[in-house]
Amino acid sequence: MKKRFKYLLLEIASPFIAILFAVLIGALVMLVIDKNPVEVYRTMFLFSFKRLDSVAIILFGMTPLIFSGLAVAIGFKAGLFNIGIEGQYLIGTFLAALAGFALKGLPTFIHLPLVILMGMLGGMLWAWLPIYLKVKRGVHEVISTIMLNYVSFSLIHYLIADVFMDKQQGLAPGVGNPIIRLPKIAATAVMPKMHSFLSNFGINLPQHVYLNWFLVLALLMAVGYYFLVWRTPFGYELRAVGHNPAGAETAGIKPGAVFFKAFLLSGAIAGLTGLSDLLSYFGYMDLDFPRGYGFTGIAVALIGKNGPLGIVLAAFLFAFLNRGAEGVQAFVGVPMETIVILQGVMILSIVVFSSVMGRYIRQQEKKEAALGSAAGKPGVTVGAQGGVK
Amino acid sequence: MDLSELLASAIRMSIPILLAALGAVYSERSGVVNIGLEGMMITGSFWAAVGAYHYGPLAGILFAIMAASLMALIHAVVSVTFRVDQIVSGVALNILAYGAARFASIALFQRATMSPHVDGFKHWNIPLLDQVAFLKPLVTNLSPVIVLAFLLVPFSHWVIQRTVFGLRLRSVGENPLAADTLGINVYPLRYAGVLISGVLAGLAGAYLAIEHTGMYVEGMTQGKGYIALAAMIFGNWSPFGAMGASLLFGFAESLSFRVVEGGAIPYQFIKMIPYVLTLVVLAGVLRKATPPAAGGIPYERSGE
Repeated sequence: MKKRFKYLLLEIASPFIAILFAVLIGALVMLVIDKNPVEVYRTMFLFSFKRLDSVAIILFGMTPLIFSGLAVAIGFKAGLFNIGIEGQYLIGTFLAALAGFALKGLPTFIHLPLVILMGMLGGMLWAWLPIYLKVKRGVHEVISTIMLNYVSFSLIHYLIADVFMDKQQGLAPGVGNPIIRLPKIAATAVMPKMHSFLSNFGINLPQHVYLNWFLVLALLMAVGYYFLVWRTPFGYELRAVGHNPAGAETAGIKPGAVFFKAFLLSGAIAGLTGLSDLLSYFGYMDLDFPRGYGFTGIAVALIGKNGPLGIVLAAFLFAFLNRGAEGVQAFVGVPMETIVILQGVMILSIVVFSSVMGRYIRQQEKKEAALGSAAGKPGVTVGAQGGVK
Repeated sequence: MDLSELLASAIRMSIPILLAALGAVYSERSGVVNIGLEGMMITGSFWAAVGAYHYGPLAGILFAIMAASLMALIHAVVSVTFRVDQIVSGVALNILAYGAARFASIALFQRATMSPHVDGFKHWNIPLLDQVAFLKPLVTNLSPVIVLAFLLVPFSHWVIQRTVFGLRLRSVGENPLAADTLGINVYPLRYAGVLISGVLAGLAGAYLAIEHTGMYVEGMTQGKGYIALAAMIFGNWSPFGAMGASLLFGFAESLSFRVVEGGAIPYQFIKMIPYVLTLVVLAGVLRKATPPAAGGIPYERSGE
């Protein structure tokens, strides 16, 4: 029992060691451009956590990352790599925006859920083709989803600029140009902020913070993800297929069917990624709608090791890094790109460390098993990258 | 607009895809999936601009190759030595390359998204053939890199099929355990495969920056690294096949420029052509394709 505990500790420690390693590399990069790393990191922390509104901004920033992280993770669990979150959430956001401005006169309790469902539907729709191509035609989902990301960028551009652009933007005559964007969503589709709820607990957030109920939805989704993957028969099939498709097939599970369900589910969750920004912050979709949540989601899932708690913490980490990046850019003149480098190094070091650690643990367990099989079975080893292959 | 001009433009468009696809052949034949090609191309295109801006085009090529090889080295260390999932490593590399290029661009050019104009090589005309009117667009004003890229195709075929190195490279991609048993050291060969792909992806990026565009622009690779992977698959993991597929993709891209001039179809749909074509091609051919048997699987010596 003691030994098992030690291994668990090692597995939990490995991401932290990896983050530390990435922080050191980041420090080197800062030294190259003549900045004091201690000063930079200190500014990052102070800027991010000293004020309540800044913490709330980080929580707002982590909301989309939880969704995209969960979407990637559920794919990983089935042995699928969904790099298409990026396109899936753009399509989802578009459909949600469409339902948000086109439908009028609905009460909020119908309109808002409907808009959210449209977002999930859009993500699912865009996830359908790659998984169909994989299961039926053997096309690797990594290539097809990347191609569909590019297709979605052009498609969204077309839909916003050429088809649905809002031509009636209230501009003073002769002043400025209209933004290339969709019409604003109806008030009944707006996701309320958490301000009035939080003020019950004496937490008063200023108006420039957009923390909204999607955060709660994201956290609930993480809990739901846990139950689905670890507590239901479907979750069992999912993990079995992810671990060893051939083995699962022998056990009577159809990998193709599981792939389909898992990938569509991944797309549906991905479809929620852009909604916090759409329904609570911008209120419309334009050509500059935030991109890149999908790619950060991959990092979030990897660092969170596809576990619900890990994903939430990793989303927090990345939201903090983004927030901190703004701080260091403004106050110590370190370009935000330093933080992107930091993120890239972090992913690499995390996968290396967890792979090395996982192998070490497996070896130790093998040794133990060889040393006269003790009372308890060693149990199923959780491969460090079990979900990824 | 006549046919030979369209073909000439198709050839120019296909070069970065061809170079990267050739790189992918080496890497995949050794058993390592290299989805980091895109990142290596980004790195190559940026450092080519740096080298060419300060010391001329040849330096640009060298800078690009060195920088992209460094990225390839990271990929090899992570995925071969540490046996991390190759696709995960490649994706991380792409994120890293994007951030690093922006960062370095700010540091060296004071702006994140582009470099100043850089001069390319002096372009060549092929003597005699350039007298034939029909061939003129095809054989005049050629970048030396284009010539090099096409020479690399038969050369790569020879290396992979006819040399001891090629035989060993293929053997560790097909059955590393058997190769190991015969005394072939798997890891150095896989390193070689990945590093060669880095060199070629760097060259591809350099071509884009200094020969095709005359500057570095952020996002100028536009997924060509991924398309190159698809071209390599379509070309059935062989240099000549990769060349055929790259020409097809290059043709699609150059065609898309011509259609824009027409203007009947919204240009956003024209821009989708290379990507949709990639999907169609993969969906249509993959059934009969035969990837290296051990592709994508990290090799672990037993008893380690």
